[in-house]
Amino acid sequence: MAIITQLLVNGLIAGSIYALIATGFSLIYNVKKLFHIAHGGIYALSAFLAYTFIVLFKLNFILSFILTLIIATLLGVLIDLLIYKPLRKQKHNELPLLLASFGTFIFLESFILLIFGADVKTFNFHITKGYEFLGAIITKTQIIILIVAVISFILLQLFLKKTTLGKALRAVSDNKEIASTLGINTEKITMITFAIGSALAAVAGILIGIEQNLEPSMGFMAILKGFTAAIIGGLGNIQASVLGGFFLGIIENLGIWFLPSGYKDAIAFVILILFLLYRPYGLFGMKTREEIAG
Amino acid sequence: MIENYLIHLLILVGIYSILVISLNLAMGFTGLLNIGHVAFYGIGAYTSALLTLNLHFPFWIAIIISGIIASLFGLILAAPTLKLKGDYLALATLGFAIIIESIFKNWTSLTRGPLGIPGIPHPSLFGFEFSSLFSYLILVIIFVLITYFVIERLVKAPFGNILKAVREDEMVTKTLGKNTFKYKTLALVISAFFAGIAGSLYAHYITFIDPSSFSVLESILIVSMLIVGGTASNKGAILGALILILLPEPLRFLSLPSSMIGALRQMIYAVLLILLIIKRPQGILGEFRENVA
Repeated sequence: MAIITQLLVNGLIAGSIYALIATGFSLIYNVKKLFHIAHGGIYALSAFLAYTFIVLFKLNFILSFILTLIIATLLGVLIDLLIYKPLRKQKHNELPLLLASFGTFIFLESFILLIFGADVKTFNFHITKGYEFLGAIITKTQIIILIVAVISFILLQLFLKKTTLGKALRAVSDNKEIASTLGINTEKITMITFAIGSALAAVAGILIGIEQNLEPSMGFMAILKGFTAAIIGGLGNIQASVLGGFFLGIIENLGIWFLPSGYKDAIAFVILILFLLYRPYGLFGMKTREEIAG
Repeated sequence: MIENYLIHLLILVGIYSILVISLNLAMGFTGLLNIGHVAFYGIGAYTSALLTLNLHFPFWIAIIISGIIASLFGLILAAPTLKLKGDYLALATLGFAIIIESIFKNWTSLTRGPLGIPGIPHPSLFGFEFSSLFSYLILVIIFVLITYFVIERLVKAPFGNILKAVREDEMVTKTLGKNTFKYKTLALVISAFFAGIAGSLYAHYITFIDPSSFSVLESILIVSMLIVGGTASNKGAILGALILILLPEPLRFLSLPSSMIGALRQMIYAVLLILLIIKRPQGILGEFRENVA
């Protein structure tokens, strides 16, 4: 029993990170119909930026958090303007966009490797004794991760549902042409989407930093898990991406009950392929099958 | 010394050429966004290494079986995923490559996991061992030529025209009574076969393999070579392999630690890839398609 609750807790923590990445990814996919792989690079870079501010510059945590958020946001917008925007003008731009996104990701990852080197980094936070909860141990940092993630999701929901900009963003996601005939500036909405999406990736990057060691290559698995979560939930639905993230985190952790833990990553992709085949619109999505398989 | 190094690079160019030409059949000519090509390469390498080491198969039989096993995996991948469109197929193939990589890492009783498999024998023929660099280069060149002519022949044949038709408009091709699913499957299976051959050549050249040689990022490198050289051009495929292998070499003369050189090399790949995609989407020798540019 204790093992199951422990695996569930671990799943929830991993799930919050996946869900944060998945929501940003899904948001950008909704507006631009683009698989933003470079998102994983922004996530990893944010973790290393936070490390730079906290450990190297010895700034306090909140300030480091805000600085990292700002830089990540700017970077996301810059990637869209410099790389994706010129490509959107090409007609058959599916493969070029995907590869350019991969290229950008590789650039960011190698940049981190060049600057910080290959050895692992930590934020050096004190490890405090965990709380016991139904036989499982949950640490203070894990509670922080969960709370910050949930707050981020609530803020995102409020933005999308209550503000004019958020409504405009959803309008562009639903139908770009009609939105633009109604006078919505789609270029501006694109910028805001990349800004918010990247900020979410940055939050995930900083949060993972308080819990785990940082490695330059950490972004790749993260983005793969992020879009797997988005697809499990159903691309095109932000709440569903959150649930998809938690679902993936929990399934993955429960999966190591049956398989050696080395197969943890493989579990996610078996689920991805199964979903692509049998339920490509995800658990909660409403997308028609025709958009995915012809 | 420097000649040896040059020959070593040319051998790598040759092995990658086989990979890129075979990928070209699926991706360039048929339009299947397969970004998991490296999985077939890895399967070929492991099959060949295990057959020659554990079962003492001669290289010449092992390399053919490697191709066959890789193409069986192509068939396994094709059956469920080829119904997916564009980006979604790309994700599924990526997932496939990661699953295969994690099997290499975790099935330690067979693959020795991250420790890798050392001592893979050099090929030999009638008592002559291909252990010198120069002889191995000749061997690789022969395989590149075979791959080149087989694939070139295939795409020039009516078969190739159907593949191109599938790429341009699958719906219309279907309406014309072609079983597009069968053609896409064939393209992927043949493509996987040659990737398996390349894997075998790599394993018997380096004589040591481990999962890190077959990571997904390696796959992106292969796709980049194709894009740089130009999709749907087999000469372009070889050119792409040549450019991306040789281009970062001058970096070696900088006195930097090797991890930094690796990082710089990746950054150059990335910038080159992005610039090319933006400025010349058909690649250096790619087939000019009006709707692309």
